[in-house]
Amino acid sequence: MNLTKTWVAQLDDYVIDLAWSPAGRVLASASAAGPVTLFAASGARLHTLPGHADGTNALAWTPGVIVDSGDRKPDSPILASGGQDGRVRFWDANTGRQTVETEMAPAAWVEHLAWRPAAANPKSHDPNSNLLAAAAGRRLSFLSTDGSIAHTFTDAPKTLSALAWHPRGGAIAVAYFGGVCLWDADDFHARREYTYGSAIPALVWSPDGRWLVAGAQDNAVHLWLPEEDQEFHMSGYETKVRELSFSHDSRWLATGGARDACVWDCSGTGPEGREPLALPHADRVCAVAFQHSHGLLATAANDNEVELWSPTRQQPLVATVRLTAPASKLAWSPDDTLLAVGSQKGGVLVLKVEN
Amino acid sequence: MSADTRIPVTVLTGFLGAGKTTLLNRILTGQPGRKIAVIENEFGEVGVDNQLVIQADEEIFAMNNGCLCCTVRGDLLRILGRLLKRKDRLDGVLIETTGLANPGPVAQTFFSDPEIRDAYRLDSIVTVADARHIAQHFDDGRETKEQIAFADVILLNKTDLLGAADLDRLEARLHRMNTAARIHRTRNCDLPLDRVLDVGGFNLSRATDLDPRFLEPEYPFEWAGVYELAAGTYQLCIGHHSAGQQNGHESGEDAHHHHGDEDELEVALLPVKSLDAIDLAAARDLAVQVFSDWEKRVKPGEAVTPGATLQRLQLADGHGDFPVTIPATGRYMLFTAHDVPTHLHAADQSLIRYVHDQTYRHEHSHDEEVSSVGITMPGEFDAKRLNDWIGGLLAKKGQDIFRCKGVLAVRGSDKRLVFQGVHMTFDAKFDQPWGNAPRANIFVFIGRNLNREELINGFRQCLVN
Repeated sequence: MNLTKTWVAQLDDYVIDLAWSPAGRVLASASAAGPVTLFAASGARLHTLPGHADGTNALAWTPGVIVDSGDRKPDSPILASGGQDGRVRFWDANTGRQTVETEMAPAAWVEHLAWRPAAANPKSHDPNSNLLAAAAGRRLSFLSTDGSIAHTFTDAPKTLSALAWHPRGGAIAVAYFGGVCLWDADDFHARREYTYGSAIPALVWSPDGRWLVAGAQDNAVHLWLPEEDQEFHMSGYETKVRELSFSHDSRWLATGGARDACVWDCSGTGPEGREPLALPHADRVCAVAFQHSHGLLATAANDNEVELWSPTRQQPLVATVRLTAPASKLAWSPDDTLLAVGSQKGGVLVLKVEN
Repeated sequence: MSADTRIPVTVLTGFLGAGKTTLLNRILTGQPGRKIAVIENEFGEVGVDNQLVIQADEEIFAMNNGCLCCTVRGDLLRILGRLLKRKDRLDGVLIETTGLANPGPVAQTFFSDPEIRDAYRLDSIVTVADARHIAQHFDDGRETKEQIAFADVILLNKTDLLGAADLDRLEARLHRMNTAARIHRTRNCDLPLDRVLDVGGFNLSRATDLDPRFLEPEYPFEWAGVYELAAGTYQLCIGHHSAGQQNGHESGEDAHHHHGDEDELEVALLPVKSLDAIDLAAARDLAVQVFSDWEKRVKPGEAVTPGATLQRLQLADGHGDFPVTIPATGRYMLFTAHDVPTHLHAADQSLIRYVHDQTYRHEHSHDEEVSSVGITMPGEFDAKRLNDWIGGLLAKKGQDIFRCKGVLAVRGSDKRLVFQGVHMTFDAKFDQPWGNAPRANIFVFIGRNLNREELINGFRQCLVN
C-alpha cells in the first residue's frame, strides 16, 4: 500500500480547517488569516471566499448527499464557516457566494461548528431541514439553513472548547473547563452533566454512540459510557490531549498527547487494564484521523511526518510522507481514498491511498 | 545573551487611569514594523492603534480544586494558543490587564501550560502607578499591592502631581515592597522603551543590576562595637546621661523609631579574635544565632556577661547601668538590638572607646503586607536537594510567595540555572554559561510573611558540602 501525492496548493496562512463536501467533490480549506479556498478533488482552485475578518476558525458542510430538489443541484451542500469576527456565514459552493451571515451574540469568537448528523433527520433530502450547532464563547446556538437562530442554549459556565454530536443526532455534547454537558437536540434539556476538573480541548463520540471521550488539558483522556453509567480515566500522557479519533467500528480510539500515537481498544469492557497500541513518531503527535469506513489510521507529528497505519497488523506502519512543515489538520475524503493534509505553513496536500 | 527565541510577552498592570493605555500606545508606535498582538481587557480605556487587538474576558481556570496558586487565565490560554496558529511568527505580545486584575493567574498562565511556555516568554510585568493615587489604592484592597509585588518594572507615573519629598517617600515604600523591581519616575509614561521591553525581568538575567542594598541581609541587631578590654570590671551605661558624656556611641538616628519596648534592650557580648573582616563576620553570624535564642533578663545593677547568651537589659526611661565582668583580656564585640546611646566605662569611670563599630540593616517591622527578601550565597547547589527543597517550600508557602526568581550555580553544570516561580508553579532552566563571571547565587522572594532566616537556612542545606 502506498501514499502518493496527487496535488499540492498553498494558502496565505496556517491551515486551520479542512473539510470535504459530503460527496467528496470539493475540499474546503480555511487559512487562519481568514480566506477560505475551495478546491476540486482534482486540485483545481474553484473559488476563494473571503471567510472572516481577523481570521476563520472552523468549517462545516451540511451532511449527506442532497438529492435534486428545488433549484439546488446535486451535491450542492452548504458550507458554513465561523470566525474571529463572531459571525457564522453560509456559502454556496457552486457560485462561491455568501448566502447568509449571522452575527452571534454576545460577541465572541465562533470556534466550533457542527451540522446535525443526517441520521437524525427524517427529511434529510430536504436541504432546509438541516441544523447547525455553533459555539461562540460560552453559548451554544442552533442555526437553520436560512441563518436564523433556531435555539439558544443556556450559557455554559466557561467558554465552549469542543462540540460533538451523538452519531444518531439526538443529542449534542459540549465541553468547557469543568465538564461536559449533553443537550437533547429536540427538546433542548440537559440530559446529563459530567464534571471534570480541567479544560477539555477535544471531545468525540464513538460511531456507535457508546463512548463519549474527552481529551483533557491535564494530560489525560476521560471516557464516559452514558448508557452504562460508567467512566474511565486514562492518564499518563506527556501533554494535553487534543487529538482523538475513533475507528469506524468503534473499537479503536486513537489519541495524541505524546510522541506515540496511543490506540486504545474500546471493545467490550473498554480500555482499562489493556495495553494500548503505541504507534511511534519522532516528535509530538499533532493530528490523528481514522478513515470513515475503513481501518487505516493517519497520524501526523511535529517532525513534519505523516504516517499511515493499519493498527492491528503485526507491522502496523503502512506508509510515511514527509512534509515541509508540521501538519495542522488531516481529513479523509468521504470514500476514504484521499487524505487531505493541511500544514502550519499554509500548505494543502492531497494524498491518494493506493494498493 | 541566551538564545531564547520564544515570543516575548509584556504584561501591563495598574489601576484604571494610571496610564496603561498611554504606555501601550507608546510601545506600539515606538516599534514600527514589528508585528505585535495586543490583548486588551474588556474595559480598555481608550482606543489602541494596532492591527491585531484581541479582547480578553478574564476567564479564570482554577486547575486544582480552586487553589489560588493553580489558577490560570483560560481566556489567555485560548487567545495565545490561537495566536500561534499563523505562518509568520509574532514579534511580541502586549497584555493589558484591568486595574482590578490579579496578576498571579496572568503570570501563571505562562508556566502551567507547556505549549504556552514553549512558545512564549514572559518578558516583564510592568505596573503603572499613579503617583498621586496609588497610596490610597493600597488601602482599598489587595490588588494594588499585588500589582506592585508582581512587577518587574514599576512606572511611578504622573510625577508632576506630587512634591519631591512625597515622591521619595512613595518610591521608598514601593521599593520596600518589591525590591527586585526597577522603578522609573515618569510623566505621561514617557521613557525609553528599552526600560520596559526585553528587560528579561522575569528571568533575572540581569541579576547583577539588582540594588545592592537589597541584598544586604537584615539582622536582629542594629549596632555593634568592638572594644579592647583587659580582664577586670567595667560599667555599661545605656541611654543618655547627664552632660559631659562625649565620645561614646550615640544613636545614629535622631528620630529613630524604636521597635518593641523602650524599657528593654537586648544585647550580646561576644569575643572576637581580630578586626579582620572574616573574624567580624564570624562574630556577627554567631550573634545572629544568639539573638534567636532564649534571652536572659538582666535587671539594673546585675552583671552582663560575655559569651553566647542573649541578655535583655531592663531599663528605666531608656536608661540603665550594668556591671560587666571581663574574665580574660581580649577583644569583645557588643551587639545591641537598637542603635541607642551606649557607653562603656572603666572602673576608674574613664570612658572606653570602641576600636571599630558598625551598623546593620535591622529587620524592619513588616508594616507592609508585601515585602521582599534577597539572598546571595557563595557555593554550588546540589540540583536534586535544591529542587526538592524549593518544591516543598512552594507547596507549603506558595500562597504567600507571589514571585521568586534566582540565578544559581549547580554542581556539575557550567551553565547558570535560572529559576522563576509564581506562587506554587515554578520553572528552572539552564541558560548561558558562567564563562568568566564568578559562580555566585542570587535569589529573590517577593510576598507576604517571608522569613529570611528560614529561607537562608533552607538554601544552605542544599549546598554541596
